[in-house]
Amino acid sequence: MMLPKFAYREPETIQAASALLASVSDARILSGGTDLLVNMKNGFVTPSAVINLKRIPGLNAIRFDKDGLNIGPLATLKSLYTNPELTAKLPGLAAAAASVGSYHHQVMGTVGGNLCQENRCFFLNQSSWWRSSRPACLKTGGDICHVVKNSTSCFACYHGDLAPVLMVLEAEVHLTGGCGVRSCLVEKLFSGQGQIPLTLQPGEIVSGITIPGKSMTGRCGYHKLSDRGSIDFPIIGAAFWASGEDRTYRICLTAVDRKPVRAEHAEAFLAGRDLDEGVIRQAAALAAKAAHPVSNTAYSPAYKKLVLQQALARVMRQVMGGPQS
Amino acid sequence: MKTLITLNVNNEIHEILVAPNQTLLEILRDRLALTGTKKGCDAGACGACTVLVDGEPYLSCILLAVDAVGKRITTIEGLSRGQMLHPLQQAFIDHGAAQCGFCTPGMILTAQSILNDEKTPTAEGIRKKMAGNLCRCGGYNKVVEAVLSAAEKTAATSDPRLK
Repeated sequence: MMLPKFAYREPETIQAASALLASVSDARILSGGTDLLVNMKNGFVTPSAVINLKRIPGLNAIRFDKDGLNIGPLATLKSLYTNPELTAKLPGLAAAAASVGSYHHQVMGTVGGNLCQENRCFFLNQSSWWRSSRPACLKTGGDICHVVKNSTSCFACYHGDLAPVLMVLEAEVHLTGGCGVRSCLVEKLFSGQGQIPLTLQPGEIVSGITIPGKSMTGRCGYHKLSDRGSIDFPIIGAAFWASGEDRTYRICLTAVDRKPVRAEHAEAFLAGRDLDEGVIRQAAALAAKAAHPVSNTAYSPAYKKLVLQQALARVMRQVMGGPQS
Repeated sequence: MKTLITLNVNNEIHEILVAPNQTLLEILRDRLALTGTKKGCDAGACGACTVLVDGEPYLSCILLAVDAVGKRITTIEGLSRGQMLHPLQQAFIDHGAAQCGFCTPGMILTAQSILNDEKTPTAEGIRKKMAGNLCRCGGYNKVVEAVLSAAEKTAATSDPRLK
């Protein structure tokens, strides 16, 4: 499969990259390329310009300081789980990074790219030839959705593995744009819209992520179900965080909606409780109500709601130190 | 618009005119005639096109050639020394780890990257890191045996290629 033609740029500063991105409305940022280039080969992402960030020095740093942990957008997934300090303090984040794709994708793929990956749908992530047998969908410039009939919006689902963990850690993402740098919770990066899943403004680039120190005093975990032990995107993924003594908990699910979803009702139910088996099962059932999967993968929404409860219960037991099965 | 780039492939410097939308896989196979690197799925999912970039396994079908400038690229052709096979290549032959052989170059290069990181990998570690190299003949056990055997043989060797 040939890649479509594009103009290629290698800016030397993030500000220059941001200016380039703002100047070409359909330009795309290239970091690891494991998502972008596949989508371009499949012909549903066709930017007129590709802006490679990898010539910008210093964007792959992983640094602990008084505020917490700072991760550069070009830090590779492998560099997360091979960092001993990160693995010790944030085992859930390391587990999520180690669960992405295959080893090759972990070597090539970056934190920023994983976070900003394109949403996925059974009717989208196919070759141009495959898709040509149907009318174009909302995501590819058409006006129908093949998944939800009569829908006027796209239901492509977010499948990132890092985002749910970063959300339970209440991490901040730093965005460099034409007006300088702004920061927001990772949660605010996602629009909940399948067509344009990210809330990035024109010219904005993810230039860093900060995990606050207070989140590192708790414990976090991530459990992913996938077809195979390698390569695949999650059928569902569940992240769980438990504070130390004040018994607050956070839950986030991925591959169940157009954005990663915090299960707030389940979190409220858990607050202040000790987690025994009954509480874990009730919380998992409540969390499933926050998930809104549709029929755009090989798995039915009912199945996904069922297995997400098991995956969540498993990661809750793991974080709380009990038996996992 | 095509640009002239310099690629270091198997310690040889090549000056090549490339378009930005050409992948490293296309350049290796079609321009440098290094056809040991295989085009499998061509979408980053099978591992057949694995090459080493600065010692790490990269999927060359989803790596732009222009993005590989300044990197040390190793393909399967760069492992042997003339007629003397690399220990991993020899181990694959000794263990019958290649059936149709299409996935073998990618397998061997991923195995080399594992040995770059750890001298004595475990079978489980090998399986995990090589899970992205698909073999449709299904000869995985012999692949793992071959890598373990090559690791054992080279752990004590003075061969600089594995140091």
